Amino acid sequence: MTQGRPKSIAGYLFVGPAMLYLGVFTVLPMVVAAYLSFHHWHLLKPDHPFVGLDNYRRLLDDPYFVNAIQNTIAFTALSVPVGMAVALAAAVLLNRSIPGIRLFRTVFYIPSVCSQVALSMIWIWVTLPNAGFFNWLIGGLNACLGTSFSTDVNFLTRFPMISVVLLFIWNGLGPRMVIFLAGLQNIPESLYEAARVDGATGWQRFRHITMPLLAPTTFFILVTTTIAALQIFTPIYVMTQGGPNRATDVVVFHIYKEAWHKFHIGQASAMSYVLFSIIMVISLLQFWVMKRRSDSIAEAV
Amino acid sequence: MIIGLGFGAIAAISCQESRSESPPQTTILRVANWEGPSVDAGFLLQERSLREEFERRHPGVRIKIENIPGEGQYVPKLLMMFVAKRAPDVLQLDASYASVFIDNDLLLDMTPIIESDTSFELDRYFRNVVDVARRGDALYAIPLDFTPLVLFYNKRLFDEANIPYPNRDWTCDEFLEVARALTIDPPGDASKKQYGLYFRNLMSLWVPWIWANGGSVLSPDGQHAEGYFNSEQSITAIRFLTDMITQSHVAPSDSEAAAAGVDLFQVGRAAMNVAGHWMIIDYRTANVDFGVTMLPSNTGRPRTVIYESGLAINRETKQQTLAWEYVKFMTSAEVQKIRVSSGLAISAQKDVAEYYASDEQEQTFLEAVEYASGPRGARVEPYAVIEDLGREVVENIVNGMPVRAAINQAAQLMERELSQQ
Repeated sequence: MTQGRPKSIAGYLFVGPAMLYLGVFTVLPMVVAAYLSFHHWHLLKPDHPFVGLDNYRRLLDDPYFVNAIQNTIAFTALSVPVGMAVALAAAVLLNRSIPGIRLFRTVFYIPSVCSQVALSMIWIWVTLPNAGFFNWLIGGLNACLGTSFSTDVNFLTRFPMISVVLLFIWNGLGPRMVIFLAGLQNIPESLYEAARVDGATGWQRFRHITMPLLAPTTFFILVTTTIAALQIFTPIYVMTQGGPNRATDVVVFHIYKEAWHKFHIGQASAMSYVLFSIIMVISLLQFWVMKRRSDSIAEAV
Repeated sequence: MIIGLGFGAIAAISCQESRSESPPQTTILRVANWEGPSVDAGFLLQERSLREEFERRHPGVRIKIENIPGEGQYVPKLLMMFVAKRAPDVLQLDASYASVFIDNDLLLDMTPIIESDTSFELDRYFRNVVDVARRGDALYAIPLDFTPLVLFYNKRLFDEANIPYPNRDWTCDEFLEVARALTIDPPGDASKKQYGLYFRNLMSLWVPWIWANGGSVLSPDGQHAEGYFNSEQSITAIRFLTDMITQSHVAPSDSEAAAAGVDLFQVGRAAMNVAGHWMIIDYRTANVDFGVTMLPSNTGRPRTVIYESGLAINRETKQQTLAWEYVKFMTSAEVQKIRVSSGLAISAQKDVAEYYASDEQEQTFLEAVEYASGPRGARVEPYAVIEDLGREVVENIVNGMPVRAAINQAAQLMERELSQQ
């Protein structure tokens, strides 16, 4: 056991930087935020009285915070399933050996390495009335089909939530697609061959081989995408500022306004903890459902 | 909120100010303003030459301008700099949000300096403009320039419709009649519609309509909204405004205006517009043949709001004397003459303002001062939030919410905001 000490020191040294990072940038802020959430804390005021659960109680009768939670849940409910379906479809399409496939994979990944601010600026242009890309498409449609749909639709004010959801799907496509692709490539080709021999159609092979074997990958993407969607901020800040009429005022944007525009740090901290609880509950629920499903599969086997 | 006199910049590219390292013994004076790339390039060059003049007169001093452009960015960023104790020595201060700086003790009371500096005469400035930054005997900013809101009207459109130019003593009903007559809606082509009024939903622009009907947003002490924002007079005024959008369609909703993508008044598709002096530059450039007059009023006396910007000094600056020299220089008649020649605003120095008040339009602006009150944000700390809630009221009503319900809800939320301070 004489070697025990130096070994453990080396171990601590290895994990040290990561622990330090987590401590300073995750644990400490969480503890401080919890402390702040129990105080009436205005950044510019000298007095910070302890108010117990008052900040949390106030949230219940804040119609705009409730609205922000509803918007966040609507955003998540729209963007997560569609975003995952699109990513899976892209992964399936790119999971074949045709010439130039690497180029396509790169092209699909590009939006994810761009700054979200830059993407949001592009998206503002895409949704512009008249000059925007969507209206250009409508104009093309009119020219081809002889229809006369209006081309001065301001998508950002008419369909604000859908506009932001589309950006989220496009922006996050890359990583989701790559992870799906890795999952797809881990499925042994022999299974598909066996199914083909048994006369399974393309859809049947997808339904009974690809989907079950992709379940762990799908689950991972589900959890991470859900968390990302619940924490959406940058596109909202750049594109809509929560508007029009608070239709896209999501929780993180609401917290930002409360903290840095109204300087109610205590109140904003309470909101952060409410969001944290929501994310925690949804994630635990997802884990629970996944565990039940894998248990039942294990039983069936 | 109007950040300063129309300086709301949209893009956020930092300016040309960041020069290379300064020589060792240079004293640096940090000055914050909201000017950004959207501001007229000629004006920026002029500002730079003024700074260089100051540097020439004070050898060894370098002015470091810290631009914080972007609608709604200036105040939060600057306040964070104060919280972090990294605030600039001098800051441009807009009356609309002066309270949050003054009433949190962030600024230097300039009265002692003014009293000891014989070369400075406060009497040369418009008194009610100076008083925006006053608390008792203490004075926290020296005004640069200001503008009251007035009503711009397009003479050509009035002539075409055979309507006499508005009389400054008009009532809201008379205004509506004129606006109706000037609204032209050719069937089937929304892009050719001409509006009576170019309405934009910013409470800073429409608050005079409430006053003009005898209403108010807040109690005189600024502590309450319930019973004021939802008083009968205020409700009537807001109903009058929103009816113009939803009932008589003489004014565009924000989305209709945004869909046009241009200043409807500037392109001759709206006959009237409520704005400040800063719009004169654009309207003259665009060759709009316009006149200016008072906003209509139901109280027998015109009412309007006055927006002002001044220079304030950080309470904790280590360069107090130098900061004061800079404030004095920039607000001096000598510099003011150069600054206001661009047409951006009216100088807060009486002599300079009157020197430029040569034509009838300028005269109207000066006369409007008499009927004007400063923005409530000069005294009420959370006024930016109040203005946001006010903007939402109009948005809600335009989107179909009953007028009274929308106003009552907002009054309740305003009350809540005021009580939270």
